[in-house]
Amino acid sequence: MSCQWQDKIVLFVDDELQPADQEEVSAHLSGCSECTAAVAEHLALKKAVRVAANRYSAPPDLHASIYRQLHPHARVSPWWKWGMSSVCALLLAALGYSLWPRSSGGDAMLAELVDQHVIALSSSNPVDVVSEDRHTVKPWFQGKLPFTFTPPEVAGTTYKLVGGKMVFVQHSPGAELLYTAGQHKISVFIFQEQGSSKRPARNSTFNIKNWSENGLGFYLVTDASDAEINQLVSMFRDANRS
Amino acid sequence: MSGVNQKEFEKLALPLLDPLYNFARWMCRDAEEARDLVQETFAKALKALASFQEGTNFRAWMFRILRNTFLTSRTGLERRNTVQESEEGFADSVASHDTPELALVRRADSELVQQAIAALPVVFQEVVILADLEELKYQEIADALDIPIGTVMSRLARARRMLREHIVALLSGKSDARKPASGKTVGAKS
Repeated sequence: MSCQWQDKIVLFVDDELQPADQEEVSAHLSGCSECTAAVAEHLALKKAVRVAANRYSAPPDLHASIYRQLHPHARVSPWWKWGMSSVCALLLAALGYSLWPRSSGGDAMLAELVDQHVIALSSSNPVDVVSEDRHTVKPWFQGKLPFTFTPPEVAGTTYKLVGGKMVFVQHSPGAELLYTAGQHKISVFIFQEQGSSKRPARNSTFNIKNWSENGLGFYLVTDASDAEINQLVSMFRDANRS
Repeated sequence: MSGVNQKEFEKLALPLLDPLYNFARWMCRDAEEARDLVQETFAKALKALASFQEGTNFRAWMFRILRNTFLTSRTGLERRNTVQESEEGFADSVASHDTPELALVRRADSELVQQAIAALPVVFQEVVILADLEELKYQEIADALDIPIGTVMSRLARARRMLREHIVALLSGKSDARKPASGKTVGAKS
């Protein structure tokens, strides 16, 4: 790996590159296994730090005293009221998520997919290619991924394509397509299958579907119910059937 | 227009209570001190509301106040004084990371990574937590820590290299991770 790429890869992983450079690195990664491995290693360390460093929560009495600090004249201190604000709830959900999988090593792949989905939920730029049009999104991945896939036509359904981005999960490059269904966000991940076994399709909070079609592994992660995603799953299956 | 009113402040700052406390605990290594530090940070921020520049990152601003408050505390001074830092070039630091230890990093459980983070000198600890947990941009970290962006990058590279080394050392169980990872740096005491 030349130094030029080494430096860029750190910036790539830290999301510090300009869009043009970002694309240049993405393009390079699709043909360079050494750099892809380096990206995976950087991401693994970042994630390990993110999980491990998130170690302490403010004790309840600190919540209370901060509340009193902000409202010196208030008699009661309903810290739990704002404590349960949606932002806190989201943070807790994200935290719960980041803690969930690592204790059971076998589900590392799903854990990373859920992480990726949570990142997409919280990011202001959840996708790298922004388009409702599958004919724009699909070609964007060409040359970046060592395989092709077909996003289904969702016009006329309750689903809306938001866009897509490259992801690296378990060392492999893949695609993440982001959809909305009403208020729900749905991530569909596509990877080349590596002969891995089927994994459990549900955990306590996120609904996860996993299926294979034509040598590709598909993973759908969302908070929407089965009823809301079944149609999207079957459309994906149909679109990618040989 | 600059400044936020108290209501906006609450909306922005209260969700940061846990992240700020978490950061403070890492810095102080003591629950009581971390508590005081966060309270002082909120008090200072509340007083300085008018100086917050709208459009800049509020999180980075709060971390900056917390970190500056920490620096003036006794523990802050002590922890900093145990470190003689040597800044290296970004490329240099990155290039010296040779073999990817992906498998090892994956094998490391959270507790072990926590040990590795705890073993970092404070200047490396703060930069890696702000970057990888709080997901601040390099420029925001530079602002929060009052250091040039190049220093953010070199410290970050160095912090990660030390973490890798600590993790490998802890996993192999041969050496003490509290040992300085590089001859040029004196590890902070706990």
